[in-house]
Amino acid sequence: MTKYLEYQLKEIKDTYLSYLGPPFNEKDFSPPRPNTTALSLPSAATRLELWRGLENRARLAQNQRAYSVLLAAVRELARSTLCPYLQTSLLHFCTGLDGLLGSISGLMTTLGYALPPPSAVSVGGSDGELQEPRRDVEGFWILRELQSWLWRSAKDFNRLKKRLRG
Amino acid sequence: PRQGSIFYCSVISEAEQPAVIINALIFRLCPFLVGRIQYERMGSDVTMQCGSLDNDASVSWKVNGTDIKARHRLEGPRLLLTQVDLGHNGLYSCFQNPHGERRDTINLRIGTAPREPTVTCRSNTYPKGFYCSWHQQHSTYIPTEFEVDVHHNQRALEVQRDPVHKNRCHVRFPEVFSSFPYRVNVTAINDLGRASAAISFEESNIVKPDPPERVVATPIPNNVRRLEVTWNSPSTWPDVDNFPLKYFLRYRPLIRDQWQHVELSDSTSHTITDAYAGKEYIIQVAAKDTEIGTWSDWSVAVHATPWIEEPKQITSTTEADPVIGGLISLKPVPTAQTMALTITTHKIK
Repeated sequence: MTKYLEYQLKEIKDTYLSYLGPPFNEKDFSPPRPNTTALSLPSAATRLELWRGLENRARLAQNQRAYSVLLAAVRELARSTLCPYLQTSLLHFCTGLDGLLGSISGLMTTLGYALPPPSAVSVGGSDGELQEPRRDVEGFWILRELQSWLWRSAKDFNRLKKRLRG
Repeated sequence: PRQGSIFYCSVISEAEQPAVIINALIFRLCPFLVGRIQYERMGSDVTMQCGSLDNDASVSWKVNGTDIKARHRLEGPRLLLTQVDLGHNGLYSCFQNPHGERRDTINLRIGTAPREPTVTCRSNTYPKGFYCSWHQQHSTYIPTEFEVDVHHNQRALEVQRDPVHKNRCHVRFPEVFSSFPYRVNVTAINDLGRASAAISFEESNIVKPDPPERVVATPIPNNVRRLEVTWNSPSTWPDVDNFPLKYFLRYRPLIRDQWQHVELSDSTSHTITDAYAGKEYIIQVAAKDTEIGTWSDWSVAVHATPWIEEPKQITSTTEADPVIGGLISLKPVPTAQTMALTITTHKIK
């Protein structure tokens, strides 16, 4: 499922960057990541030894939390997008992402792990809206981080599979 | 010890040093022996100064011990050359008139300032680290060194220069699954100038494993259309359990140009089941991380031919044999070139 979502996301990301226009759609462009409480995206990046050493419950919990936050972020991104086609694509993508989140939560329950309490998902200003002119940069980083998480999750689930079999 | 006007020098260096540094060391101790190096731009006009002689000094010059044949001009203690090229390279010595004492030796080296190097980076040891290589499209003809710096998420990373390859460096990944790009800047520097080139990339885009190793293709007994292929993951890939590879196998008979392809996940063996009987095959395998990066180059090619049934020997019968009759049939065998004669015996009541 992560591979399917990754493939979908690549297409949406290309469309979104074209929608944002230059410099976002330029090769190798990478704006500074917003370091504000308005955008508390969970980072997929981790030190290798820490990632290897994650026990099953923590590994799943990190994925579950990440996709909870990212799902809310993408929904907000869809809501604030003016292009109807892009909005439809993002909302459709959210359906898939919701399915992935449901699968992770279901797996945690099956394994007897308690689901983490829903965190206060913080995207945008106090009214929950993504603020101009930061919106473009925040949208860029939401999709970038989501891409990293989908890639990481494939590796997480592979490791989980081997540990559960063993 | 000094003997007349001849001085004897020796330099002992404990560590291996490039020739340029040895020359510099020798020059400091024995300047008349090697000559100071003077780098000049190709096509420019060059002035060489004979030591620290006054402007009214009279000197003569030689290059590599012989008279200077190239067009030149003398101005007191200075030698002027115009529009120099590589042919002007040499050891120029000046001798003060009237007694001819050698006053200076200059090693003239003509070259060009560096241009932007071409830089590429790759990770064949993911998730351990990556390496970057660079080269100059055009030679500078004079010694050129390179400085490298690598940044990630506003931090400078430690860069290890390769002990063997002068134009390569190694960097460890500080973290995995990062959304921040890496930026590698390489600066070429020589005495005539400097030039830089920088590239940016994401971790996932530079991952390219080395080809699979120990590819072996074996015929399967009694199977005329099968070949068993096995291989190993590249030994440079450090953690195939957590970062598994998928493989792409291609094969074709030698007599054909078109390849057949099979993609395999998490398996290091495959049985080809549609080989042409009796035909020699060429087989190669490539590898890729299951999520990111690009395919490796193709492995070394291996050749194999599916199992061929040995043609049976025909043996004649004797009068003592109880065989009375028999059916003679012609049966096609695996090779198209031969037909085997088989005899089936039946007892007749």
